Amino acid sequence: MPEGDMAVAQGSSNNSSDFVRKLYKMLEDPNYSEVVRWGDGGDSFVVLENEKFTKTILPKHFKHSNFASFVRQLNKYDFHKVRQSEENGQSPYGKEAWEFKHPAFRADAKNNLDNIRRKAPAPRKNQATEDQFSSNTQIAALSETLAATQQQVQALQDSYFEMAHANKVFVDEIMHLQKMIKAQNSVNNELVNHLGKIDHERRHARATSNHSNQFNGNNIMSDGTEEPPVELRRARDILNSVSGDHIPEKDLRQMSIQFQQIGASPDSASSSSMMGPPGSAGMQNNYIHDPMNDLRHMVYPVGQTIGIDPFAAEHMGNIPYNRPLSQNNMGPGQGPGAVPEPGPAAMPTASPPVGAPGAQSTSPWGQKKPRVLLVEDDKICSRIGSKFLAQYDCGVEVARDGLEAVQKINANPSWFDLIFMDIVMPHLDGVSATAMIREVSPRVPIIAMTSNINQQDLEMYFHWGMRDVLAKPFTKEGMIGKLKKHLPSFLRNPPQEPVMDQMYSNGGTGQPPTPGPFANPNMSLPMSAASSGPIAKFETTPVQSPSTSTSWHSPAQLPHASPNMGQDQGGYLTAGSGGPMAMTPGGTQRPQQYAGGMIPAMSAQQMGHMPDDGPLRNDSVSMVPDPKGLG
Amino acid sequence: MSSDNHDGGDSNLPDLGDAIDIVTFSQILEMDDSEDDREFSQSIVFGFFEQAEETFEKMDEALEAKNLDELSKLGHFLKGSSATLGLTKVKDSCEKIQRYGKKENEDGTPETDEELCLSRVTETMKSLRTEYSEAETTLRKFFNTPAV
Repeated sequence: MPEGDMAVAQGSSNNSSDFVRKLYKMLEDPNYSEVVRWGDGGDSFVVLENEKFTKTILPKHFKHSNFASFVRQLNKYDFHKVRQSEENGQSPYGKEAWEFKHPAFRADAKNNLDNIRRKAPAPRKNQATEDQFSSNTQIAALSETLAATQQQVQALQDSYFEMAHANKVFVDEIMHLQKMIKAQNSVNNELVNHLGKIDHERRHARATSNHSNQFNGNNIMSDGTEEPPVELRRARDILNSVSGDHIPEKDLRQMSIQFQQIGASPDSASSSSMMGPPGSAGMQNNYIHDPMNDLRHMVYPVGQTIGIDPFAAEHMGNIPYNRPLSQNNMGPGQGPGAVPEPGPAAMPTASPPVGAPGAQSTSPWGQKKPRVLLVEDDKICSRIGSKFLAQYDCGVEVARDGLEAVQKINANPSWFDLIFMDIVMPHLDGVSATAMIREVSPRVPIIAMTSNINQQDLEMYFHWGMRDVLAKPFTKEGMIGKLKKHLPSFLRNPPQEPVMDQMYSNGGTGQPPTPGPFANPNMSLPMSAASSGPIAKFETTPVQSPSTSTSWHSPAQLPHASPNMGQDQGGYLTAGSGGPMAMTPGGTQRPQQYAGGMIPAMSAQQMGHMPDDGPLRNDSVSMVPDPKGLG
Repeated sequence: MSSDNHDGGDSNLPDLGDAIDIVTFSQILEMDDSEDDREFSQSIVFGFFEQAEETFEKMDEALEAKNLDELSKLGHFLKGSSATLGLTKVKDSCEKIQRYGKKENEDGTPETDEELCLSRVTETMKSLRTEYSEAETTLRKFFNTPAV
């Protein structure tokens, strides 16, 4: 809008006919008659010389020199330009003349001027709101797209990070295996040497004590030296044939060193203590298929509103491979035979179970299990809470106060998918911690856990970025309910209604997800050490996604929700999640999972302590016999 | 599985009735691997015993020091875990202590008389201890590990 127009508009706003009066006054001035004057009939006025009028007269009367604005203003007062005569196509006042007319605007009717009013602004306003409306929708669409894109980028980042981590773990693991093999080689060598010596001595003794027998042996060489027995010779040959550094190993070492340098890796530390691998073959399988996940990430837009659910059961069933979720067994129980578990934090993420057919029946989650941070200073509550979560097949990590929570988030802002946050805690309270977390991680749902739920408190929680409240004492149902509510996209069978609002309500509005989890992803030393150290509990509950034959995928067979809990419990999860660190011999179990497609089904039945309905339903009755028995 | 109890659980459970909210408590029990192996719930409960004893001591000290603020915090602290285990009465008393410590009446209205608050805390702590030891006895019996 040109300024002049504004000025006029404002000027006329006080008195609706101000403009008209100015106009009339201008026409009264005979000096202007060459430029602007009343029309011949006195019922219109004519601008004869446009340029002059604009430059000399407009500024005097309307304080601007913008003819277009003047015309617009006229239009607002319902003046109309008089069309040129049809006969000769020419205005009677000349070619360049502009003639304007208003029924009430007459040279002889000065007192009629008040009847000339600015047209109701309604139509124009409507236009404006329409514009606004459509641009609002556009903005909404754009921000939705943006949010989806952000989500996608986030997902890519996540998977990149996961892969990087997985890679590292592989390298560590391979290095370790190689070390083991070398050690075994030398052991073998020693043994062979030893045996050779013993053999030699034995023969020698025999030979000296009983010469007559010496020709029985076929292994005394012509020169009198003894040849070692065939077995020993063969063993040596084999050992020799495989020894020697091969190139890949060097590369690996290089990689390993790089990883060590990048960061610190409590992971590698722990993984180097791992024992070799009953399950390593299986594991590798798992990882090899990581790219598939990533592809899926790329192919499908993320977000529920898309309509294509990449994680839908049909898709999952067609995936030829899947892998069990790794369980974090980094605890004390690491023993021979334990499945070589990749780093504490690494694996759980690195291997979101590709929702295997088997997994379908057991985990409430889809392709990726949520990682939950439980911030709670009370040991009792945090143990129970993390147990609930672990049994619901979430990855759980615990922070003992707000400070620790903030540190964990800072170390890797995009790591956690949801945070349960106690309010009253030492060192740093939950609200402050939330505010700090929001600076780096605007989107992650943070749920207050508190018994103080008066309106005022709630408002404060929400004001500082919490998304929801879980009343204390929390129940399993309560917790799981919040999970489902805030992580609908993680569910294997996500709700149909769009969840964008929930998902993005906090961050989607504009804040991009914090970039760069890579910048200091777990690789930053102190943090990662902190996170994997004391709290050895990144216990992602392994999802029993035993790989199964594709024949086992029919969702119809096992309708939605997950009998999983029972199975988790009975399966190999026990240790990871629960009794702190006790080790279920997961190592031996996992390989078994690969053995036969029917295992999940069988184990579900055998374990049997969980009917296969949703974990939310009735478990208190069905799972706990005692209370039931007594009513 | 739900029908036969091998550990005699059904003879113990009725005793939980009054002091312990069975619905809440059974959530913890559900987390056990089986009813023959109550390792998880037992470790939780015993952990709570320790926590409670420690908190009581601190409460005594705070009471002696007339530190209402500290008392409120301690009340809040023990309230969380006792509530999570379903020790309803213990929880209620803790909540009262929390309030009195905050210089509030039981209904949340402000109370300016600090001495009154302190004496209320003292009273509440007496019943808290009674309620606690009642619950403790019940639970120890449930886990077949009577207090020594």
